[in-house]
Amino acid sequence: MRDFLELAVSATASGCVYGLIALAYLLMIRPTGIINFAVGEWAMVAAFGGYVFLTKYELHYLLGMGIVLAFMLVVGWVSERIAVRPLVEKGTAILAPILALLGVLVITREIISISFPPDPLPVPYPFELQHQKYFIIGVTAVVFLGFWAFFEKTLWGKSFEAVALNRRAAALMGINLSRVTAFSFAGGAAVAGLGGLLVSPNISAHYLMGVPLAIQGFTALVIGGVGRVEGALIGGLLLAFAEQLTIRYAPIPSGFAQGVPLLFLMIFLIVRPTGLLRARA
Amino acid sequence: MRWLAAFVALAAAAFFLGDYHNDVYRKMLLWVMLALGYNFLFGICGQIAFSHFAFYGIGAYSVVILLFQLNVPLPLAILLGVAVCVVVALAVAIPSTRLEGFYLALATLALAQLFVVVLNEGGAVTGGTGGIANYRLPPIFGFQLRGPWYTAVIVFVLLMTLWILIKLDRSWFGRACRAVRDNPEAAAAMGIDVARTKVIAFTVTSALAGVAGMTYAFVDNTVNPPIFGLDNAFLLLFMVIVGGSGRHAGAAIGAVLLFLLPFWLSPLVGHHHVLVFGVLMLAAILLQPKGLIGLWDRYSR
Amino acid sequence: MRFLGLVACLLFAGSAFSQTIKIGVITDRVGVSKPYSEPATEGVIFGASEINRRGGVLGRNIELLIEDDQSRPDISAALARKLVDQGAVFILSVSLSPATQQQQTVTMEAKTPQMTPMNSADYLTTQLQNPYFWQTGPLGSTQIATLLAHARSKNFRRVALITDNSELGQAIAKAFRGTLEKAGIQIVADEVVARGATTATPQMQKIRAANPEAMFLAGVLTAENVLIFRAYKELGVKFPIHSSYNLSVPIYETVAKGLIDGITFVDAYDPDKPEAKAFEAAYKKATGKDSVNLHGYGYDGIMLVADAIRRAGSTDKEKIREAMQQTSYAGVMGAKGMKYSFPEGKRAGYDPNGMVVRVYEKDKQGRVVHVGQK
Repeated sequence: MRDFLELAVSATASGCVYGLIALAYLLMIRPTGIINFAVGEWAMVAAFGGYVFLTKYELHYLLGMGIVLAFMLVVGWVSERIAVRPLVEKGTAILAPILALLGVLVITREIISISFPPDPLPVPYPFELQHQKYFIIGVTAVVFLGFWAFFEKTLWGKSFEAVALNRRAAALMGINLSRVTAFSFAGGAAVAGLGGLLVSPNISAHYLMGVPLAIQGFTALVIGGVGRVEGALIGGLLLAFAEQLTIRYAPIPSGFAQGVPLLFLMIFLIVRPTGLLRARA
Repeated sequence: MRWLAAFVALAAAAFFLGDYHNDVYRKMLLWVMLALGYNFLFGICGQIAFSHFAFYGIGAYSVVILLFQLNVPLPLAILLGVAVCVVVALAVAIPSTRLEGFYLALATLALAQLFVVVLNEGGAVTGGTGGIANYRLPPIFGFQLRGPWYTAVIVFVLLMTLWILIKLDRSWFGRACRAVRDNPEAAAAMGIDVARTKVIAFTVTSALAGVAGMTYAFVDNTVNPPIFGLDNAFLLLFMVIVGGSGRHAGAAIGAVLLFLLPFWLSPLVGHHHVLVFGVLMLAAILLQPKGLIGLWDRYSR
Repeated sequence: MRFLGLVACLLFAGSAFSQTIKIGVITDRVGVSKPYSEPATEGVIFGASEINRRGGVLGRNIELLIEDDQSRPDISAALARKLVDQGAVFILSVSLSPATQQQQTVTMEAKTPQMTPMNSADYLTTQLQNPYFWQTGPLGSTQIATLLAHARSKNFRRVALITDNSELGQAIAKAFRGTLEKAGIQIVADEVVARGATTATPQMQKIRAANPEAMFLAGVLTAENVLIFRAYKELGVKFPIHSSYNLSVPIYETVAKGLIDGITFVDAYDPDKPEAKAFEAAYKKATGKDSVNLHGYGYDGIMLVADAIRRAGSTDKEKIREAMQQTSYAGVMGAKGMKYSFPEGKRAGYDPNGMVVRVYEKDKQGRVVHVGQK
């Protein structure tokens, strides 16, 4: 029983990280329909930022975190301006910005790889090892509550929803489409960055950490559905629980347990691509 | 005719290159083969998939396992290898026809990763993490195909692949594919079976990738899991986009350029040529979506 | 890296003046093997510069032709061919084991001597019967036997095994498994941490539930190993950890601070050995930097090659091959008094009794606690 409780906490913490990445995808998909794979690399950038400000310069955790997140806002905004806006204005198909963002993914990864030594770099915990998981869960809960409230209660949030439902109508109603897009990318980058920062004390900052996170986050998104903010978190939790419970309890050799998230992704894509939660009508 | 001349020219080149350059040449030809098939799937039929390298691997491993572990004669091994690719492709394609754009890409991404997991866990059958080595192409009619002669075989397979793709492209099937790519609803309205078109395109190109894989198995005479990993799948996509998707010449140019680029750039930027790829890709999409072949068209006018 | 550039320039300048002996080096500058390959390559370059300073081999200078295979086996074979075409009489492989394997298909055909001073995969000398290939890196089977000999004094009966899903991690785990089972030790838990995992808690819980007396670590991916250490600490388990030689890579001293005290690991380096001390001093003097155990692999590699060429008396590949097979050489790596040799036509030359077990003391690689397989 003790195992299960410990595992539940661990899976919840991992699920929160996946959920944050999924939220980052969601923030960008909803108003624009663009799937941005670079979220994994953004998480990585934030992790390296954590190394720079927290390990190297040893700033106070909250201050370091604040600087990194502010930086991520800029990164997201810049990415959108370079890779997305010119294409959207030209009126290209949705595919084009998605592919352009793949280019951004690779470029980001290489820039980090050039700027830092190749070995994994340590990022410190804000509290001790034992409490890191609760910290992750706590921060994620705050973030999700914040975004839920944003979309449900505020005017800005509702304009996001309007754009998501019908771009043209939203534009006709006077909503500034490019501003919404810019904010969604900046926000997405910050959320992904937060996820990277929270998970990096565990896995260290290294330049290959982006792609697995991007895939895990996307799987969480597919499971939870793109329609609602809560879906991202639920998807993340389900994925993490499935992964960890399988490793712990399933009587299959652990080598095959790695296949579980991949299998989940394929099954959900084929059977229920819209995810578990439906968008509000 | 032109095909014969092309074959002679490309194959003869192999006899003039040293061992090392021959090796580079062969690998380049294989990449062109993969890019042509991928271009048909992506550029002409509009489907993004990351499983191309998985099928490359399935072809390579199948033929090696069939020939050396099950002792199947070569012609049968080739046919069975193709059959395996077709079966797996159908198994993935048929359920996926309901998926749009990037969702298919994700499913194939998962497939590619699963493939590597299976290879690693495959124990004695796949050689596990070390792969399979220590084999040679069996003599065909008593003639041992080595060196430049084997390169000629690769050229032959490449030209055959190109011929198949061009024929498909110019047929009604090619038109159906383009229609599905540009506007699936309109295509359906015109009476095209969208799902069937997508499945056939995916299966044919994956089978061709498998054939390329079979050819590859005898280039280095080793197959191991790292070769068929995910980074190459991204590279293939970049090649087709930079070269110009939708055009065979574009795919070929993209493959040749991005394959040779690291060799030229090495002295300058060391190993960070991937950065250059990313920049090229971004530049292609932003500035010249028709790719290099689009530039060529413009200037040759 | 600037030092390397300078040395490379010097080597090149030196070689431009006389007919040089070309030695190819295939390393990994970018990929997963970089933490091992880079120091090993630096060791090779340093060794070559020392050799040239003392007059070279057979009166000629060594010229290193260094290629980067980025840990991609498909590139590796092509590079081997390139080196052969360029006239290399010997190829040193300091990249990954599967890359070395790919290179073998080329060197076997081209009848060019090839050696890895570093790779530990057992299959390198067994899968292909290549008389031109030698392996002086410590074999996975030797590692586990040494580790086991040390553990045997503690009389373990039930142990756990954990690794990652990388190619090398799986290979080392396989070697561990075989030897443990043959010694009659029961493996009560056998776990894998996948690359990209965010936690190793479930695996560690499973291990804890099986109640082992010790845990053997075969993983080679740094980030995933750190996950294992964290889970170990978090779950409060106390059984000793015995690790493969991956833990001898110095990066753990920074990235796993506070987590590795007391972990024993098998290594090929005894910091007390006179040759090791001399090497450390010479390296520091020439480059101004501290050396680590990994540099020794490369250094020994190039020294072994030079030694073989000297005894062969020529750069004829066949003569080098025969001379290499007769090697008996004491290098920087290995326990005190160990010599590299290839008895009875074998091609794996690291003395099975030549590894040591060391222990991490606080966060630093500490003293030797056991030698050999007895």
